[in-house]
Amino acid sequence: MECSKHCHQYGQSEKKDAGDSDAVIVGHFDGKMVRKPTLPAAAGECSSSQTPNTSSSVVESRERTRSVEDNEMSLPCLAAAYTTILRGLGEDPQRQGLLKTPWRAAEAMQFFTKGYQEKIMDVMNDAIFDEDHDEMVIVKDIDMFSMCEHHLVPIIGRVHIGYLPNKRVLGLSKLARIVEIYCRRLQVQERLTKQIAVAITEALQPSGVGVVIEATHMCMVMRGVQKMNSKTVTSTMLGVFREDPKTRDEFLTLIRR
Amino acid sequence: MNGHCNGNDIVAEFHCNNNGSGFGELSIEAMKSALQRKHETSRKEAEDASRQSSLEAEDASRQSSLEAAVSTILRVLGEDTNRQGLLRTPKRAAEALQFFTSGYHENIHDIMNEAIFDEDHDEMVIVKDIDMFSHCEHHMVPFYGVVHIGYLPNKKILGLSKLARVVGAFSKRFQVQERLTKQIATAISEGLQTRGVAVVIEAKHMCMQMRGVQKINASTVTSTMLGFFREDPKTREEFLTLIKK
Repeated sequence: MECSKHCHQYGQSEKKDAGDSDAVIVGHFDGKMVRKPTLPAAAGECSSSQTPNTSSSVVESRERTRSVEDNEMSLPCLAAAYTTILRGLGEDPQRQGLLKTPWRAAEAMQFFTKGYQEKIMDVMNDAIFDEDHDEMVIVKDIDMFSMCEHHLVPIIGRVHIGYLPNKRVLGLSKLARIVEIYCRRLQVQERLTKQIAVAITEALQPSGVGVVIEATHMCMVMRGVQKMNSKTVTSTMLGVFREDPKTRDEFLTLIRR
Repeated sequence: MNGHCNGNDIVAEFHCNNNGSGFGELSIEAMKSALQRKHETSRKEAEDASRQSSLEAEDASRQSSLEAAVSTILRVLGEDTNRQGLLRTPKRAAEALQFFTSGYHENIHDIMNEAIFDEDHDEMVIVKDIDMFSHCEHHMVPFYGVVHIGYLPNKKILGLSKLARVVGAFSKRFQVQERLTKQIATAISEGLQTRGVAVVIEAKHMCMQMRGVQKINASTVTSTMLGFFREDPKTREEFLTLIKK
């Protein structure tokens, strides 16, 4: 494997969150995940796969933390992998246009998965306000770019979020930031929708949350069935949005163009 | 002569097949050369088979190096490669990458030559809004858009779908939009000996949408005008008007 000696298993630089010890809100139903301490890798190894968290009682989580330092350390390894890919596809990595491509592609891929290095609490803590407002709040048409975890090909879409506050409101841009944290990962649209809805529910304890995502999957458009105009729509309705059809109707009407 | 026919012994076979009489439809010499041809054919078949299997082995090893590279990428990005959704991702992603770069293996002449027809038509032929997907060679991220092609035939026309196939052959590569535009125009110009070719590509680059400057609506337009489309402004104007939405 062409990996540089600078690769190391990430997770060594994990820090504990402020607040709850050993826990980070991951946006799953029960809200907390106990982070299992990871074993340090031998120097020079390109990161081996982490052992899945099987001993904890929580729902299986795909949360990881990654730091900016991890990104820098693993860049040579990623670039080497991209060089292998270029060569394996029949290109000449030495030609002018491709000389720095492995590095650019590696940084691009790290950017597309930067959700792994961000935590909800960092985003939400400062912008929760007490407000005596109990009508629906909607932020719609939030542009979203994600990566399909099956083919590593982009997903392009829009997210519409609505919630019914319960004495607490969230800074509006924070809804978009929550979308960013979860969409900048290797995802499946169904899981992405649910993670956003659950994260908002757990942070704000609103009366209800509705999330609708409408997306184009390039893995269906550029390859495979090659259906140019197909769109996938998923939704998650929690609380009053699930129980009360009229609330749900109001939300769906207001997000319609 | 009794005995079993033994294919290695030409004389015995001759007698065997001819009931011992020396007379048959074929002379010994003809039998000998037929048998030699049979040996040569089977040797050639064996060579072809071994060449085929070594090509297949090469393909398989290329495929597995792609899969290993994808697997490394997943691990280094911080994912758990043993979770259910990612178990077969290296294989799927490697196959997807090979599909996205299948243009390197396409022969433009083969694509075009089968569908060139003599036709006494000298007016502009346009095929527009051809969907195009390519990958930026700088970031290996898709860019997608539409291609509009117009040409002025010179007694020869091309099957219309072949224009789209030429677009596919050049776009399924790591590309730069400027080069892609020119390659399409040059291939049609040279393949058909046209009086002029015009190609316009309008595309959105995901490397600008998903990262970097993050401008979602920005569109890049490139064009190549050859022959009459370059020399005569009116021809060019007619083409640009006809491709407008």
